[in-house]
Amino acid sequence: MRKPFVDTLRWLAFIAAVAILNFPVIATLVTSLKSEAEIMTNASLMIEAPTLGNYAAVFAMADRFDILHFLTNSLVASLIGSVLAIALAFPAAYAMARFGVGRTWLLPLAVNLRAVPLIIFAIPIYLMYQQVGLLDTRFGLALILCLVNVPLVLVLFASSIADLPLEIEEAGRVDGAGTLRLLVYVVAPMSLNVVAASTVLAFIYSWNEFLFGLMLTTNSATPVSVGASFFFAASGGGVRWGVAAAVMILATLPPLVLGLLMYRQIGRSMTAGAVKG
Amino acid sequence: MPRTSRFEGRLLIAPLTAFLIALLGFPLVLDLIYSISRVGFENIRTPELVGFSNYAKAMADPEFWAAAWFSLRFGLIVAVIQVVAGLGLAVFLAPLFARRPWLIALLMLPMMVAPALVGLMYRLILHEFVGAVPYYLLEWYGDFPAFLGRDWAFTTLVTVETLQWTPFALLILHSSYAAISPDVREAAALDGARGRRLFLNIDLPLMLPAIGITFFIRFIDSFRVFDNLYTLVGPGAGGSTTSMSIYIYQAFFKVGDIGLAVAASMLLLAASFVVLWVINGLTARKAPL
Repeated sequence: MRKPFVDTLRWLAFIAAVAILNFPVIATLVTSLKSEAEIMTNASLMIEAPTLGNYAAVFAMADRFDILHFLTNSLVASLIGSVLAIALAFPAAYAMARFGVGRTWLLPLAVNLRAVPLIIFAIPIYLMYQQVGLLDTRFGLALILCLVNVPLVLVLFASSIADLPLEIEEAGRVDGAGTLRLLVYVVAPMSLNVVAASTVLAFIYSWNEFLFGLMLTTNSATPVSVGASFFFAASGGGVRWGVAAAVMILATLPPLVLGLLMYRQIGRSMTAGAVKG
Repeated sequence: MPRTSRFEGRLLIAPLTAFLIALLGFPLVLDLIYSISRVGFENIRTPELVGFSNYAKAMADPEFWAAAWFSLRFGLIVAVIQVVAGLGLAVFLAPLFARRPWLIALLMLPMMVAPALVGLMYRLILHEFVGAVPYYLLEWYGDFPAFLGRDWAFTTLVTVETLQWTPFALLILHSSYAAISPDVREAAALDGARGRRLFLNIDLPLMLPAIGITFFIRFIDSFRVFDNLYTLVGPGAGGSTTSMSIYIYQAFFKVGDIGLAVAASMLLLAASFVVLWVINGLTARKAPL
C-alpha cells in the first residue's frame, strides 16, 4: 500500500515544517555563532567564520548584567514553583478522587482558572507583595509560578489517581495504614510517572513565564525570560546582536533540552491536560 | 462516606484551598474594591469609594475598545489558522509519526521556548540590517515590508504566534487522529469509502470534539497574549497592537491609574466568564451524544 512518491512528499513536508517552525531558534543560534563584524556584513544563515566569542562576551559582562544570576533565579523559582504546585495539588487531587471532597467546586475552579487571563490578578498581587515585602524575591516569584501551574497539575493528578486500582489502597487500609501513609507509600509511588511528567511540564512553563517576572521583580529575583532583554540595551548605542543572540540561546537551552529528552511525557501531559480539562 | 474520611478529605484539600484564597481570592476582593474607588499609591490602604466612575472611564476610552477588538480578532484569526494548519499536518504526517514517533519531538520544540524570548528573537530576525528574513526577501524579491510598522504589525504578530503554537494543535489533533480505531476505517473502506471521503465522513466527525477543544484553548491563550507582543513591539506600531493584557499593564505601570487598570481587569474577567459559559454550554450539550 505504501506509495514511495507520497512518502517522499511527506518527508519534504515534515522537513519544511521543522525548519519553518523552529526558524527563530535556528536563526538566533546561527547569529550567536558569528562574530560581531560578520553579523553586520552577513545576515544570511551561512556562517563564514564560526566563533564562540559572543558566549565568552556574555559571561565577561557579568559585572553589569549577570546571566548566571538570571539563570539561577529562573532555576530556583521554577523548581520551588513546580514542586510546591505538586505538593499542594497531589493531596487535593487524592481527596477529590477518593473522598469526593471539592470535586464539584475546586476542580471546575482550577480548570476554568486556566482560561482566565492572569493579568486580572497581577495588579492586586503586586500591591499585596509590596505590602508584605515579597516584591523582587525568588520565593515571591515562585508562589506565582505555583499558582500558574496548579490548575494543570491538579487536572493531571485528578484523572490519573482516579484511574489507579482501588484494591491496593484497600489492602493498605486493612493493614492499618492511615491516609497520609497510604498517600506517601502507596499512591505516590504508583503515580511516579505522572509526578515526573507534570514536574517537567510545570518546570518548563515556570521557566518561560514572563508577565509576573516582569511585574514583580526588578533585579534580585529577575528570571532569565525577563533578564534576556536587558542585554539588548547593554551597550548604550546599538544592540550587540551577537551577545543578544547568545543570551537568548542560553536562556532557551534548558527547556529545549528537557523538551527533547522528555517529549513523550510532555506530549502526553499536554494532551491529557487539554482533553480532561 | 464515613464522617472521618470526609474530614480527612477536607484536611487534604485545605493547603491548596488556603493557597488559592490567598493568591486568587484576596486579590479578587482587592480588584473589586479598588475598581469602585479613587485610589493611588499614596492611599493604597485607605481607598475612597467613588462608585462606578472607573468602569465608566474604561468603557468611554476608545483605546480600551481598540484593545478588546485587537485581542478578539487576534485570538480568532490565530486559533483558526492554527487548527487548520495543525489538522493538515497531523493527518498528512500521521504515517511518518506512526513509524517513528520521535519525529514529533522536533515539531514540539517551538512550544518549549518562552514566548517572550521568541518575541526577542524576532527582533533580531526581522531587523532590517542584521535579520535573516529581510536578507533573503531582498535576495529573492528585491524588497521587504516594514514588518513592525503600522500596516504589517498585525500580520507579523499573527505569524509569530501561529508559528509558535501550531505545534500544540498538531499534537492534540495527532493524538486524536491516532486514537481512531483501525476497525472503523476498515469497515468504512469495505463500504467503499477512501481518500477524501474517508477523511470527511469518518475521521473528521470523530475528531470534532478534539478540534473544538484545541480551538478554544488556542483562542483563549492568544486572546490574553502579552509576552511576545510586549518584547517584540511593546506599545509600538502606533498603539495598533495593544492587546487587553497590554492595555491593563500600561494603565497600571505607565499611567499609574490603578482604578482604571483594575476596572479594565474586572471587565476582562466578566468577558472570560462569558467565553467560559459559552464553552461549558457547548461541551455540555455535546456530552450525551
